Amino acid sequence: MITRAAGAAIPSYSSDRRDNLAELWRSRELLVRLVQRNLQIKYQRSVLGFVWTLFNPLLTVAILMVVFRYVVRIEIPAYWAFLLSGYFVFNFALQMLNAAVTVLRDHAQLSKSAAFPAEVLIFAATLSRLAEYGVAMLLVLAALAIFHHGGVPIGFAFFPLLVVLLLLAVAGIVLPLSVISIFFYDVEHALPVLAMMLFYISPVFYPVSMVPDVIRPFFFLNPLSGLISLHHSALYEGVVPPLALLGGMTLFSVGVAVLGYLIFDRYRATCAEVV
Amino acid sequence: MRKSFDTPAPPAVECDGVVKRFYHYEHRTTTLREFFIRTVLRRPIHVRRAHFEIRRLDLRVEHGEAVALVGANGSGKSTALRLIGGIYAPTEGVVRTHGRVAAVIELAAGFHPELTGAENVALYAAVMGLSSRELATRYETMIRFAGVEDFVDVPLKYYSSGMRARIAFAVASHVDPDILLLDEVLAVGDQAFRERCTERLREFGRAGGTVVAVSHDVETLRTLCTRGVWLEGGCVKMDGEIGAVLDAYSASVTKHPSLAALG
Repeated sequence: MITRAAGAAIPSYSSDRRDNLAELWRSRELLVRLVQRNLQIKYQRSVLGFVWTLFNPLLTVAILMVVFRYVVRIEIPAYWAFLLSGYFVFNFALQMLNAAVTVLRDHAQLSKSAAFPAEVLIFAATLSRLAEYGVAMLLVLAALAIFHHGGVPIGFAFFPLLVVLLLLAVAGIVLPLSVISIFFYDVEHALPVLAMMLFYISPVFYPVSMVPDVIRPFFFLNPLSGLISLHHSALYEGVVPPLALLGGMTLFSVGVAVLGYLIFDRYRATCAEVV
Repeated sequence: MRKSFDTPAPPAVECDGVVKRFYHYEHRTTTLREFFIRTVLRRPIHVRRAHFEIRRLDLRVEHGEAVALVGANGSGKSTALRLIGGIYAPTEGVVRTHGRVAAVIELAAGFHPELTGAENVALYAAVMGLSSRELATRYETMIRFAGVEDFVDVPLKYYSSGMRARIAFAVASHVDPDILLLDEVLAVGDQAFRERCTERLREFGRAGGTVVAVSHDVETLRTLCTRGVWLEGGCVKMDGEIGAVLDAYSASVTKHPSLAALG
């Protein structure tokens, strides 16, 4: 039993959740600095810089294009546009899962020597990847508008909302996962296997419409299925996404974010002690 | 803190019956497979034995006091400092602090070798809870205090370790906290810089700042602090005027030569 003291002005933890949220708000400048640092360290000594960030996903998309267009022969018009509108979403989620495992351990020394809310580290990792994702997606949107739609379709208007949903869902999963992985090292071992599975059970290279009706309810247990499917509607088809799915995913993402934060909040005191 | 005339000002630091227990794991389940098996079999998931870092700590530090925590390794000094700084949560009891706390537990935590001196100053200041507006007004002073004016645009990896420590101390001491917690960070830099640090801390004390310092450097503590608290085995063994406590502590160390080697 941890009896937490309800003392005043104790920065890194409190039994009162409102204190923790207020403390998070006070740490916003630290958050900005950490995001800056993450991006700067990654790019300042690299000549090609952002080209590398795009290189990996674009190469994967090219391979998927060749394999599933010309070998497996999935019949989807403008298959490249279909792949581009979903793959980056998957890639962002995957990178965040990987980051979740290492972020608290990487900052062990820092969290043992200064009092600040530990979620700042997680949010900094998330936001610096979100910045990269944002730039990549602007390029994708431009490519789709010019070469696929020949204009800006109505569906693009939903993209900002989809980013928010993706961010909430990912944060809600990454927060508890990062705490679990300081207790259980096997999260790290399980992740490559999980990533491989996730790639095949997510509608990255096939549309949801190809999934048999029998397994479709189970298929949507994977949160990425709904999110990627919404991106297909909004970006690839350029139409207003199905509102039932949009509403469902909104509820889901908000729920996961709240639940994830509550789990994290329950174990926050252990972050500095165990890492 | 605003002081009112009818009620006495609350102490800077208050530890009431604080206990900090850590667990030593005789068996720690680290795989999910084992976790499920143990859950199904209703075996305990972790077999752990508690050991105490802090057995019982009752401490009141008034505003303007400079307290030295002394004791052998493992006596709970650093843990006490982390509890006061809000980095660890107490297992039992309450820790209250009144005023802005700056904890310098490890100099240069959060420094990154690829960033320049100036960038590291900004990052470390943010870690210490300084807003960018506050940083802007103090940046020049910090750099001058650290004596690294000519190196601010050089990546930190080209700095000497002394220069790094100087930057860290310069930032930490210019946060202008009400309560400054120092863990073994008094002995950084060369002689000239150490004198500047001591002077800075004295100034801080004269302005009403509270210091809680952990150090093995008895002479520095003697000149800097007004009160000594000797911890042994996670309890307060002696609490009083700095000279008396340091003398008693030094005497006990020389009486046990084996402990002197550890201490």
